[in-house]
Amino acid sequence: MRNKPYKWILWGVVFIFVVIFPHLFSIYFTNLFLAFAIFSLYAVTLNLLLGYMGVLSFGHAMFFGTGAYATAIALTHIQGFPLLPAVLVGGLAGGLLALILSPLLVRVSGTAFAMLTLAFGQLIFVLALKYREVTGGEDGIGGYSVPPLNIPGVVSIDMTNQINFYYFALAVVVVCLFILWFYTKTPLGSIVTAVRDNALRTDYLGFKLSQTKAVNLIVSGAFAGIAGAINALLQKLVSTVGVLDISTSFAPIMMAYIGGIGSFFGPIFGSGVIYLLEDLAIRLTERIGLVNGVIFILVVLFAPTGLVGLFSTAKSKLFHKEKAS
Amino acid sequence: MSPTAVLYVAQAIHGLAYGMLLFLVASGLTMIFGMMGILNIAHASFAMLSAYFCYQVLLYTGNFWLALLIAPVVAGICGVLTERFLLRSVHKQGHLAELLITVGIMAVILETVKLFWGTESLVVTIPPSLKGLLHYAGLTYPIYRLFVIALSVLVLGIMALILFKTRLGKIVRATVSDADMVSALGVNTPLVFMLVFGIGIWLAGVAGAVAGPLLTVFPGMADLLGMDAFVVVVVGGFGSLLGAFVVALFLGELNAYGIQFIPRLAPVLMFAFMALVLALKPMGLFGERE
Repeated sequence: MRNKPYKWILWGVVFIFVVIFPHLFSIYFTNLFLAFAIFSLYAVTLNLLLGYMGVLSFGHAMFFGTGAYATAIALTHIQGFPLLPAVLVGGLAGGLLALILSPLLVRVSGTAFAMLTLAFGQLIFVLALKYREVTGGEDGIGGYSVPPLNIPGVVSIDMTNQINFYYFALAVVVVCLFILWFYTKTPLGSIVTAVRDNALRTDYLGFKLSQTKAVNLIVSGAFAGIAGAINALLQKLVSTVGVLDISTSFAPIMMAYIGGIGSFFGPIFGSGVIYLLEDLAIRLTERIGLVNGVIFILVVLFAPTGLVGLFSTAKSKLFHKEKAS
Repeated sequence: MSPTAVLYVAQAIHGLAYGMLLFLVASGLTMIFGMMGILNIAHASFAMLSAYFCYQVLLYTGNFWLALLIAPVVAGICGVLTERFLLRSVHKQGHLAELLITVGIMAVILETVKLFWGTESLVVTIPPSLKGLLHYAGLTYPIYRLFVIALSVLVLGIMALILFKTRLGKIVRATVSDADMVSALGVNTPLVFMLVFGIGIWLAGVAGAVAGPLLTVFPGMADLLGMDAFVVVVVGGFGSLLGAFVVALFLGELNAYGIQFIPRLAPVLMFAFMALVLALKPMGLFGERE
């Protein structure tokens, strides 16, 4: 079951496609593809909460934005700050924020969780807007350059070259996605799902509810922070409206839900669909938000398991197999 | 009165006017939440829609009073249709789907508004009878803001009468506290849901329409009103009208005095206050249940 050959062939094709992508398409599409990759990671971290823990984070941009700001601030204020620590500092900042908020967030679930995250998301947004000595206010922070990837004594790769940066950023995203995928398969990941399905029973089995939720929150926050950090490196500009505002919080929700919150790869798929749609829609109409909103409503109405769920239902119907998932 | 006292009183009335507007929006939001368990993210978007309707009717007829009457009703009808055809069909999927669909509605309303009216601020002119300033004991105050307070009190008074003195109000209050039980007693609860949703949107619509001349009408209006109303509902306690009233007035004053004395901290103060309340009482000040 696990080692079906077509799966390996599929992964191989995806790998080759991703590697030769910047040589096939222009730099515009390369950066678009990177943005898609970053938002895939971001949507997957949201799905860690939405799909695996059963709570909706309405202010997920606070982790993403904190990560982006941490990286931008570190690069602006510290001379010669190396590349990998710059990415890590973003993850650290996101994780730290999640750690600080976790005592409050683990106490609530359902709509209350959504509201609380929305509230803190807005708090961070307003703080970033008002304390412009640190964050630059509405203008944000820009003008920092991406440092080279330095492995002492071995190699130093210039990251201002966009193709080099493409490979680096994509590698970070893929490694993060793999870690997250592995994380959901660990016993801890299973307990998170157990808490979602039946909290009382999991509690009686002797697992620690609050701690499990808190760890999951921190993992989600930290990786969202890394996604934000790479975004900061890609855009070379971090501003409140770009990384902390409410639409940055809503985007991964839409991606995760359109793709399907029931599976790990659903949000990646959803992110791809949204980026493809936006790129197509921008040629035909200026109303991308309207198109996205209508599609989102239609998916919630008619395909609550998302596109991935739709596919697996269709597949099982076509091949008369037992119903998947 | 001394100039300082005048300043304080003027800010107090400012705060009262904004607080009443907030309560108009938040009352519908908190009742919908208490009854259906939905946090209607699109609530303030409907208020904004009403403001645009008000602008449009004013443009066609030139009669502000007519616009003020029609716009909230049209917004309310939009709300009823939304409940009937969108929210009700995802009701069986649970609260998450309902919450998400209101996010979608918010996005669609925002984009629709931009499509029809553009992104610039539109100015709603008020009739001459509401223009001008009121002079009383050294205090000079714009009449329109006083009108906003009076209208809010009137609307809320009528609502309170219906809610607490009629049979319909009794059913609504019972449904807020336990919808399943009321349904078991033979009341058509889906109809009550639809009615309350419509009235909630209508209240928000009134707020949006009268706020138009104060704030000007622009696509960011929904975020502006929505965030504050959201704070009111969360801090006041989910589903608690009394809580929403107290907190709306408090936030109105906090905003008014905050902008006067600590302009930079005012918005932060509001959210910090909410975070504090939630840390101590996760269900809000007057909330009883999840």
